Amino acid sequence: MTRRQIPFEREPARRVFASEFREIRYQFKESDDEKSPTYALLPSGIRCNRLFIVGTLTEKQRQGDQNVFYRGRVVDPTGTFFIMAGSYQPEAMQQLAKIEPPAFVAVIGKPNVYETPDGSFLVSVRAESISVVDRETRDLWVLDTARETLDRLDAFGTTEDSKMAQEHYHMQPEAYRRTVYDALAQLQI
Amino acid sequence: MNISEAVERISHKIEAKGASVDRQKIESRLKRLVEEFGVNVSEAERAVMSDLAREHSLTGVSGTSTELRQIGELVPGEWVTVEGKIVSLVPSISDSIAQSGIIADATGAIRFVTWARAKAPVMEYNHWYRIESAVVDEYRGAPNLKIHSGTTIEPLDKDIPVIPSFTPVKDLKPGVSSVRVKIVQDWEPLHERMLQTGLLGDESGTIKFTIWKEEGRERLEADTVYNIYYAMVDEFNGRLSLSLNTAMYIPDEGDIEVGSTETQVAGALVHIAPGSGLIKRCPVEGCNRTLSRQNYCPVHEIQPNFRYDLRVKGVLDDGKRARNILLRRDLVEELTALTLEDAVSIAENNPLGMDEVFYRIRNALLGRYFSCTGSEFDERLLANHCSILTFDPAELATLLNRAGGEGA
Repeated sequence: MTRRQIPFEREPARRVFASEFREIRYQFKESDDEKSPTYALLPSGIRCNRLFIVGTLTEKQRQGDQNVFYRGRVVDPTGTFFIMAGSYQPEAMQQLAKIEPPAFVAVIGKPNVYETPDGSFLVSVRAESISVVDRETRDLWVLDTARETLDRLDAFGTTEDSKMAQEHYHMQPEAYRRTVYDALAQLQI
Repeated sequence: MNISEAVERISHKIEAKGASVDRQKIESRLKRLVEEFGVNVSEAERAVMSDLAREHSLTGVSGTSTELRQIGELVPGEWVTVEGKIVSLVPSISDSIAQSGIIADATGAIRFVTWARAKAPVMEYNHWYRIESAVVDEYRGAPNLKIHSGTTIEPLDKDIPVIPSFTPVKDLKPGVSSVRVKIVQDWEPLHERMLQTGLLGDESGTIKFTIWKEEGRERLEADTVYNIYYAMVDEFNGRLSLSLNTAMYIPDEGDIEVGSTETQVAGALVHIAPGSGLIKRCPVEGCNRTLSRQNYCPVHEIQPNFRYDLRVKGVLDDGKRARNILLRRDLVEELTALTLEDAVSIAENNPLGMDEVFYRIRNALLGRYFSCTGSEFDERLLANHCSILTFDPAELATLLNRAGGEGA
């Protein structure tokens, strides 16, 4: 059977807490091909081309005149994600336009790293879609993200991506473990 | 098969009859036929053998002298001689086929086809025959014995019972096999010629089966173990299925714990693809394709008398792998609390029409966690069960221990 080529594999949506996400500095591509995906490297040691976050939308803003886009802040137990949706993400933009903060939202999007001329970094999420969810989904996400983060920390130094992370970040796994613990502890209240 | 083997066989046979023969003479005759006249070796062997038999006035030496082969070891591309029992006869589907069925010996079974042009004697069910110079070829990925005009068939006077051994479902490969199974799922036949279709299974796994309508064919009953003898395993698009029309099936005592080939996945539904929600399906029997918004079926063109259906084509993502998933109507209704009737009435009364149904389903499902079980086909999980995940305090405790286990 030679009929099937290598099937297209959609990039998985990584689970990452806001405090780790904002530490992203390094991005890379696997090949020079125009269509090859760009990955952001998470400090805990995994490539990320897409992410799934659930948190509280606390604020949204419409910006631009000709090219309208929306910005929003989504808060998780460890910090804040900055999300954007412009005319290239029509679905997410229209959804965001409708949602009134505060609300629990699930966001699927791509990581975006921008270095300002003065050398500081703006790390944000370019949303592909946003939907309103409930508190239970948020709690499930915290568990899920804690588990995924701990899995990465446990495997740190053994995988190809985590070796790359060792080169590019000053990783202290214990600090991240602490963050995970704090995030989980907030669920008990 | 090569010439020197044929030389050996011919001289052996003639010497066994007490005559002597020059091997070089045999070889040169064979070579002449094969190399100058392009005759294939077994045909050449037959010709030389009968020539020599005539020259030496020998009788009882059959024209072909292929060795007897075991049915279980036949592979496509051979000329063979076998002895076996006709264990199944199937009504001919074409005028050019005189007879077809299954012949078996102690080592296995193979499907056979007798071409009408072969003018071969008709073989009877449950009788033994010696079939000389038949050809093994491949039909739908399975070996198949072709009986042509050069084949000779002789009835044998023996009646040895042939006891087929059962093959575990997960080890099935194209060809004739016997299985001991139970029906797992009974699907609605999509074709009027189909008597029954669904899923059969044993401890090792499951396989799709089909029974076509035919006089005397009966359906399989639920919750009954069957011994199925001589079913055809076909391969289509890389997947196996079992056709029971050649088979004999007998209910048996006992029960089988059917092994699961289902996959379970838990994750977040991160994408709901176009083509989800309320869709229209082609009403032509056996088609069931999705129609475009203009009611166009890719095969049957415009179909105004479509029927509605609900489905979700989505992506369930566990953070490590994004998996395509398909939810059928019953699951969509269960998870969204939106019935097909409601969806149709929304589509007919709302200015956004079918899009409104899509948005409602998306808003109900997107970004939520589900656990789904189902079978995987073509990189897509066809869900049989799906439930929304709920918060588990025990999981929280485990994770807190993991995170704070050392030095925290």
